[in-house]
Amino acid sequence: MAVLLIAVNFVREQRWPILVMLLWVLLLAFLGLSAEPMRHREDLLFVFKQVAVYVIAFSVFFGSSAIFNDRRSRRILSVLSKAVARQQYLSGLVLGVTIASAIYCFALGLTGSWTLGESGFPVWQVWFLMICLLAACMLAGSIALMFSTFLNPFFAAGATAALMGFPAFASYASGSSVWGLVIPVYALAAAVLKTSFQSPATASWIPVIFALLETLVFWIVAARIFSYIDIAVSVE
Amino acid sequence: MRSRFTMKKLMAPVLEFDRITKEYRGFWGRRFRALGEFSLQVQPGEIFGFLGPNGAGKTTAIHLAMGFMRPTSGKGILLGCPFGHAVTRRRVGFLPENVALYPRRAEHLVRFYGAINGMKSRELRSRAAQVVEMVGLQDDIRRNVSRFSRGMLQRMGLAQALVNDPELLILDEPTSALDPVARVNVRELLVAARAAGKTIFLSSHLLSEIELLCDRVAVLHRGKLMRLASTVELLQAGDETEIVARGITAESFSGAVARNGTVTMIVPAQQQKRAVEQIWSSGGEIVSLLPRRRSLEEIFLQVVAEPPGGPLEAKP
Repeated sequence: MAVLLIAVNFVREQRWPILVMLLWVLLLAFLGLSAEPMRHREDLLFVFKQVAVYVIAFSVFFGSSAIFNDRRSRRILSVLSKAVARQQYLSGLVLGVTIASAIYCFALGLTGSWTLGESGFPVWQVWFLMICLLAACMLAGSIALMFSTFLNPFFAAGATAALMGFPAFASYASGSSVWGLVIPVYALAAAVLKTSFQSPATASWIPVIFALLETLVFWIVAARIFSYIDIAVSVE
Repeated sequence: MRSRFTMKKLMAPVLEFDRITKEYRGFWGRRFRALGEFSLQVQPGEIFGFLGPNGAGKTTAIHLAMGFMRPTSGKGILLGCPFGHAVTRRRVGFLPENVALYPRRAEHLVRFYGAINGMKSRELRSRAAQVVEMVGLQDDIRRNVSRFSRGMLQRMGLAQALVNDPELLILDEPTSALDPVARVNVRELLVAARAAGKTIFLSSHLLSEIELLCDRVAVLHRGKLMRLASTVELLQAGDETEIVARGITAESFSGAVARNGTVTMIVPAQQQKRAVEQIWSSGGEIVSLLPRRRSLEEIFLQVVAEPPGGPLEAKP
């Protein structure tokens, strides 16, 4: 219960950034209304893909700043002075980042189903891509959260980007697709970016499952590190 | 056997610091000792005053007890469990020094804190309204706390600390931002809490408040415990006696002051008998003879002036 309350509270605190994110979805909806679906379908898909991957950056932003904001404002003290264990607090934040990303993915999925569906793109594939995206967001958010337990948000976001980018670089350098399963944020984002009207199915469930498992691993690591952190010390 | 066990449990301290040292590390590995070998026990049902100048380590001690940080060495017990045990905090109410709350309606906020503490929504609804009324914010229950003044925020902080009806209240400067009326209300609330069997650990700079409220007082200075006694004992300067007499002149006694037809003098306890005999032999009459009562402020200033009795800066 406490985990859910912390998650909902987190989403409530982040309502303005979430609303700003949703403006991108509105842009896609506007294009869907103004453009002829069949004639401009490539343009619509391009905007859809572009708007879709933004949410990964947002989840890194949410994850890297969550603990910092609570510590700087000292609101964390009133939460952790209750019967809330630190791992529960972190779970709440991971769930909060997931809910924030899910709101975006759901809105984008609805808009994408309508705009791309009219253009002949399989609707089930839109929703599968949204699941890929959500899994990528969960993993990206939990990595960012893990780094933010001991780094300030700026460095945490940088370290997250570096860690997420490493498998992409290794995959490119070695030519092996196995790297795509190590922190599969890049693999899942690539699945969204590579989708097309000709070959809409670009991903399988395997990287999604790996992303979920790795989210759990990073949450455990984050909880372990966070249990040693003096949270009442100034974070400036 | 069972009753002996219960008695032992009842008499066990609700809060215990056992030779706790806390050192902060700077960026370059330089260490600063905030608490050194600090030991203290708070007994059930008492209001315990925790005093000390800024930087004495009071807030560090409180944060250690709440599990916000880990001691460098030593251990502590909170309501029978080690510091940092989350479930135990369900029985604790904590008010931080600088109250920071999420911007929500007062009623919703208190319910949020109660709910994350494991309270059921049915009991929370009535309890939230009750505690908001207890701190005198019933007229502002539907207002967002982001629009509250500092004093109102402090009272909201107290409301969230009280929502779970805690056995132990740990309050860090609970009345620092309050006006005199609100301060009296909080004082009455704390006295009522003690009467209901709660234990209160109170850190404050307001010495008069500590003097009025607390059963026992500890004075901390530079991370060391300098004084620990009951308030009554602490305020009585056992080595001095105040004698008020009449029928004598102040000039006959060194350090004596004439006031409203009486003469007041403070003498060391071992000279008390001699002074009384001198007054009688001068034809005087004793009006009162009492152990001299000091103010907490006097004691506080004396403690602060004392050397801390140990190195504060630990070698890296």
